Amino acid sequence: MRALDFDYMFGLVPILLSYVPLTLGMAAVSMVMALVLASLMAVVRVVNVPVLDGFTRFFISFFRGTPLLVQLFLFYYGLPQVMSFLTAINGVTAAIMGLTLHFAAYMAESIRAAILGVDRSQWEASMSVGMTTTQMMRRIILPQAARVAAPTLVNYFIDMIKGTSLAFTLGVTELMGATQKEAAGSFLYFEAFIIVALIYWAIVETLTLFQRRLETRLGKAHAR
Amino acid sequence: MRKFILAAALAAASATSALADTVTVGMSGGYFPFTFVKQDKLQGFEVDFINAVAEETGDEIKFETMSFSGLVGALEAGRIDTIANQITITEERQAKFAFTQPYVIDGAQVVVKKGNESEITGPEDLKGRTVAVNLGSNFEQLLRELPYADEVDIKTYESNLAQETALGRVDAFVMDRVSAAQTIKESPLPLALAGERFSEIRNALPFRDDEEGRALRDRFDAAITTLKENGKLAEISQKWFGTDITK
Repeated sequence: MRALDFDYMFGLVPILLSYVPLTLGMAAVSMVMALVLASLMAVVRVVNVPVLDGFTRFFISFFRGTPLLVQLFLFYYGLPQVMSFLTAINGVTAAIMGLTLHFAAYMAESIRAAILGVDRSQWEASMSVGMTTTQMMRRIILPQAARVAAPTLVNYFIDMIKGTSLAFTLGVTELMGATQKEAAGSFLYFEAFIIVALIYWAIVETLTLFQRRLETRLGKAHAR
Repeated sequence: MRKFILAAALAAASATSALADTVTVGMSGGYFPFTFVKQDKLQGFEVDFINAVAEETGDEIKFETMSFSGLVGALEAGRIDTIANQITITEERQAKFAFTQPYVIDGAQVVVKKGNESEITGPEDLKGRTVAVNLGSNFEQLLRELPYADEVDIKTYESNLAQETALGRVDAFVMDRVSAAQTIKESPLPLALAGERFSEIRNALPFRDDEEGRALRDRFDAAITTLKENGKLAEISQKWFGTDITK
């Protein structure tokens, strides 16, 4: 056993914290885009839109069926070899693309399940008052599905935050990349990795507080 | 798909188009003392070396750090112009890239946990052992070329070889001699050199083997010659290693 280098640990905190905005930024942008994409795909699948439904199935199958790291390497290193103009995609963009497409595939399935979970009577009631499918989805079904899907979607967001650590393989020095480099310079692995673990943990705990408030808000109509 | 196109368009718009005189140099930033970070500052032998070269050529340098395993792919994809991360000249790499003259001459070194150096005294003692090497490094190739390679359990890592060996998860790791010696000196890990260095390693800067890459190579190569002649290269080596590893 050796004594921990606390001075080093405290010194590392502000350095690593300066990478949090990049990490959270990548995750947040990916989350918003993935949410839009996933909702569209879920609706396409539930309503069974011809042609698009087949494409969506294929999309979900591919992005759920291959590891995120493979997808990132494909966008960043692979595609530019075939289409050279794609070299213009920088590491941050490639990471955001990868996270968006990968998590959209998962989230589409969650949202689809949530939509199907909305009681059939709600669909029938909407149709009986003459709503179009789009109106029904937007006003009646999706708001109810959102409540069911919310905890799972927050889970995916947490995964996404942690998934940004793969961006270092694409030359993006984010939170984990910065930690790895600092550890390589100091050889104080425990100190460096425990600090980064605490930072990730703090981020996720903050998010959990937000999740509780979101659930309360979405659940208002169902409060007893 | 619309998102995909949108993202691609966004990226194209925001991408920094490389200026003609900006040379992008890739390195891992995690290979002490060649390239590492302390207090958020990228430094090391390779950083000083490249800056000295750029002073000669007049080029603007942009350092890009990424996992070691991504470096060669990034060079091929045109994302970086060269790699300054102790890249060893091998036949395979020479067929693919245009190299400068070597600027570091070194050997491979077996490193073990302190106390095991009397038991493992060189590469021949690696028979039946587990040995760690950096993923994509030349040392993996070197181990696979040993006549008894099939009896050596080679494990490849992205980083943290020294830690793995100190923890006893592997019996040894193989790295270049200078980094190994420096790691033992600077880190608190209980490690020891096992025997002498083996096989000569020559490190150089690889460039893409096209017209532009070769022109850049010639410019950098001329600068290295100057730095060797005026003693600047030896000086940088002394600063980081306390010895001249450039001859």
